[in-house]
Amino acid sequence: MISKKELEKCARSLMLNIDEKEYEMLIKELIVILKEIESFEKIDGLIDVEPMTFPFVTYKNELREDCATDSLDINDVLKNTNQSYLDQIKLPKVVE
Amino acid sequence: MKKNVIELHSTDLLKIIEKAKKYHDQFNIFETIIADASDKKNIGSLSGIPYVLSDNISTSDILTTGSSNILKDYIPVYDATIYKKLKEEGAVLIGKTIIDELGLSNTGMYSHIGMVKNPVDKTRIIGGSSSGSAAAVASGLVPFAIGSDTLGDVRKPAAYSGIVGFKPTYGRISRHGVFAFASSFDTVAIFTNSVKDSALITSILKGQDEFDMTTLVDDNLDYIATLNDDIKGKKLFYFKDICDSSFYKDNKELTEILKNYELVIKKCKELGFIVEEIDFDKELLSLISPVSKIIAYSEATSNTANLTGIPFGERGKGADIEELITDARTKGFSNVTKKHLIMGNYFLQKENQEQLFFNTGRVRRLLVDKINELFTVYEGLILPTTGSIAPKLDSNLNENFELILDNFLALANFGGYPSITIPSGVVDGMPVGINIMGSQMNDSLVLNIAYKLEQVIGFEKDMEGDSHV
Repeated sequence: MISKKELEKCARSLMLNIDEKEYEMLIKELIVILKEIESFEKIDGLIDVEPMTFPFVTYKNELREDCATDSLDINDVLKNTNQSYLDQIKLPKVVE
Repeated sequence: MKKNVIELHSTDLLKIIEKAKKYHDQFNIFETIIADASDKKNIGSLSGIPYVLSDNISTSDILTTGSSNILKDYIPVYDATIYKKLKEEGAVLIGKTIIDELGLSNTGMYSHIGMVKNPVDKTRIIGGSSSGSAAAVASGLVPFAIGSDTLGDVRKPAAYSGIVGFKPTYGRISRHGVFAFASSFDTVAIFTNSVKDSALITSILKGQDEFDMTTLVDDNLDYIATLNDDIKGKKLFYFKDICDSSFYKDNKELTEILKNYELVIKKCKELGFIVEEIDFDKELLSLISPVSKIIAYSEATSNTANLTGIPFGERGKGADIEELITDARTKGFSNVTKKHLIMGNYFLQKENQEQLFFNTGRVRRLLVDKINELFTVYEGLILPTTGSIAPKLDSNLNENFELILDNFLALANFGGYPSITIPSGVVDGMPVGINIMGSQMNDSLVLNIAYKLEQVIGFEKDMEGDSHV
């Protein structure tokens, strides 16, 4: 059984708040999905299957030369923040 | 009258912009209309051709919101590779279109500025998430549009609105600059009015990109040149159980869709295809829907973690950094998106990971392995694109499409397969489509099969151009 407490923990770690009504709907929707996958248990040897994470591997790891390249222009970086100071994005104090 | 790229030689951009504004008022298509779009004459193979991009595709100096309040003022500082390529060919971007918020839904009902209406019948949805792009092509406004297909998000709206939707092989087209939703599924996909146009636009967009490590080395094929390849003797298959109309006697709409499907199969055979029915584990097929959701929502939780309201987006309020980010994210995402993200996080919790997330990945592999095995014998899977016509806006629709026929499109995203939807007829005055999925990397063959079928289906006779607009 899904508890609201568990979901509150999930919401908190995602830095999200939702109201009581939304929690109720969320639990209902989750129950539907969990019900749908009850048949996982009937699949023989499922545990021995390697979980699939990508359709296929399209890349190989390659080391590139460690060269300095242009980074974003500081004016471009600051374009989308509405709180900046000099050439930096302004934040509330993090370290006491 | 809807136009094809290949037939469109000259355009009057001013008239198109005016039309865009008019259609937006009717169907709610755009996040941004580029009123000063200009045609740089004769610079490439798409010179002067107007088109639109879904609003999760980065365009420098042009608002790119992902149809979410959290990015409502975001202006990218770089171009997506696909936008760059289209600019180089002279295509003219006339607007950025509405999607379901960040691509996380599939109905066209959940953008931050309201739902997109279907140009064929504006009392109906068009489907999503690439809803505005579908509407822009279906209304006859532009001959092509680019969206993203995570779980059928281009092919389903294409079927609901009577146009062509093509999702190439995973990695065929660069996703650099496209907002990620579920990285193991996301594919750039194309709306057009014809298969030939899909081949043309895909040929322009495909190729390896140093900025996207998942892109494939170019196959160096000219997809238009291979459209006319001989298809006689090519083998197609379908799942017997889900296409048997005797199972759906009480569902008149689906019965009509399957009647249309049977006609298409007949035409396939007349063309020289060999079509066979396959027994496929129905229980396994019924897991496509939950597997899609569990993987997609889980991947979305990390892909949206950078949306904090700090480097971009609306700054939240709060005494400390945690409160400030929580406020920005809580106000910036819609309730639907928040629910999807919380579910994703639930599936990823340590205590649920094995049972939910990993088992889901295992079932994904079982499905893909079985389909790969079938593709050693057959060239394509052919099915009706959907099990219903576009639902009514007020039909109290949730996201739980129950029929396997309404969910199977995700198979192409599970395995990275190329998959195309073409219009195949009309049921209750609404378009329905047929979908062809081929094996990984075989984009040219899928386009070839669809092209041959398109020649004999004669959809345009049933529903002519944009007379409905």
